[in-house]
Amino acid sequence: MDFLEPMIALDETHYQDGYKDGYDDGMVSGKEEGRQVGLKLGFQVGEELGFYQGCLDVWMSIIRLDQGAFSARVRKYMEQLAALLSNYPLSDPENNLQDMMKEIRLKFRVITGSLGAKLGYEGRPTSSEQDLEDI
Amino acid sequence: RIWKRAPDGAWHCSDVLEGVHESTVRSCAWSPDGKLLADASFDGTTAIWEYSGGDFELVDTLEGHVNEVKSVSWSQSGSMVATCSRDRAAWIWEILPGNDHECVDVLEGHTEDVKMVQWHPFFDVLVSVSYDNTIRVWADDGDGKWPCVQTLTEAGNSGHSSTVWSISFNQKGDRMVTCSDDCTLKIWDASIDLSQPTTGEGHESWRHISTLSGYHGRTIFSVHWSSEGVIASGAGDDAICLFAEENSMVEGPSYRLILKKEKAHDTDVNCVRWCPQNPRVLASVSDDGTVKLWELQGDILD
Repeated sequence: MDFLEPMIALDETHYQDGYKDGYDDGMVSGKEEGRQVGLKLGFQVGEELGFYQGCLDVWMSIIRLDQGAFSARVRKYMEQLAALLSNYPLSDPENNLQDMMKEIRLKFRVITGSLGAKLGYEGRPTSSEQDLEDI
Repeated sequence: RIWKRAPDGAWHCSDVLEGVHESTVRSCAWSPDGKLLADASFDGTTAIWEYSGGDFELVDTLEGHVNEVKSVSWSQSGSMVATCSRDRAAWIWEILPGNDHECVDVLEGHTEDVKMVQWHPFFDVLVSVSYDNTIRVWADDGDGKWPCVQTLTEAGNSGHSSTVWSISFNQKGDRMVTCSDDCTLKIWDASIDLSQPTTGEGHESWRHISTLSGYHGRTIFSVHWSSEGVIASGAGDDAICLFAEENSMVEGPSYRLILKKEKAHDTDVNCVRWCPQNPRVLASVSDDGTVKLWELQGDILD
């Protein structure tokens, strides 16, 4: 049916035009939103890592002044934390960022737990596991 | 609360240890020498109390878990304490002189809330049980770490099909009993020292011996093996059951019910423990708010 073809073509053209407009707009707002989220998340991650690195720097200074300030076991934990922090990819994002951060947080807790120090990163977002208290 | 028995046999509360925890104190354990008491709290910490000069004093606090601590256990030497939590991990702590401590290892592997930890009476081995239905065995690798050397599952080891709540070793340390939300008790052969490297091929493992089912109609919350070989269990059906082991040459060990005390409490029995001094005396606690002491005479529990 030849007389129908231009109508179908028009429909298709309108669809394509709308799609292109939506795509272009989405690209712009998506990029902007991504930039905002990235900035926020990047700041949070950076701040938290900076906190741990800062604590580590203080501990390292103490060790330089007094070799016996911490036990061999705790010194080993501190070395492990240093390695974990330096391995964290600050520029190129990798897939297992969450796992790496969990490992860093745990190692930090093991150290503070062993020192009896009440140190905690205050800015950390609260746990999302808001379960009811169970038995 | 600390309860003492007066010369006339009556029990009274001698001390209330308070002002430390900000939330429920879920369980507690005496150190092997009886001088220290560790408690596990929902506030995420474990407090260590020392009994000296007739008073209990807070001497240390173990912090590390991120949420509720469910259970605490002292190693046989008293030099280590294990704790476990809803954060799915178990922590091993070394207790040092001067009321100090250090974290030895963090045991990760369970995929859900860890309900209880218990040290083997002789081996450098720790057992944990969990809401993930499994029993995990952790052993000292000689290098300061405690990897998981065995996981007892429903499919692979005839394990539990629901939350495992409690675990107890017999006095000899060659048997272990666990209890679960699946309303069964399971007995395991724990005679192999899993902390020793395996010789040759084929991993030695703890294996299932027996399953006791049909005795409790609800979740079994607690189980304890007396030094005389009697297994006590307490459950959500308000009852306490007692079992004894029988060894036949042909079929191996089996377990028979000695008695079932229906309505031992008005509601859920949360924990049962045999008295270390008198293996015929059993203590039980319940959601009904009471602590009851029972004596086993023959086949009567009263």
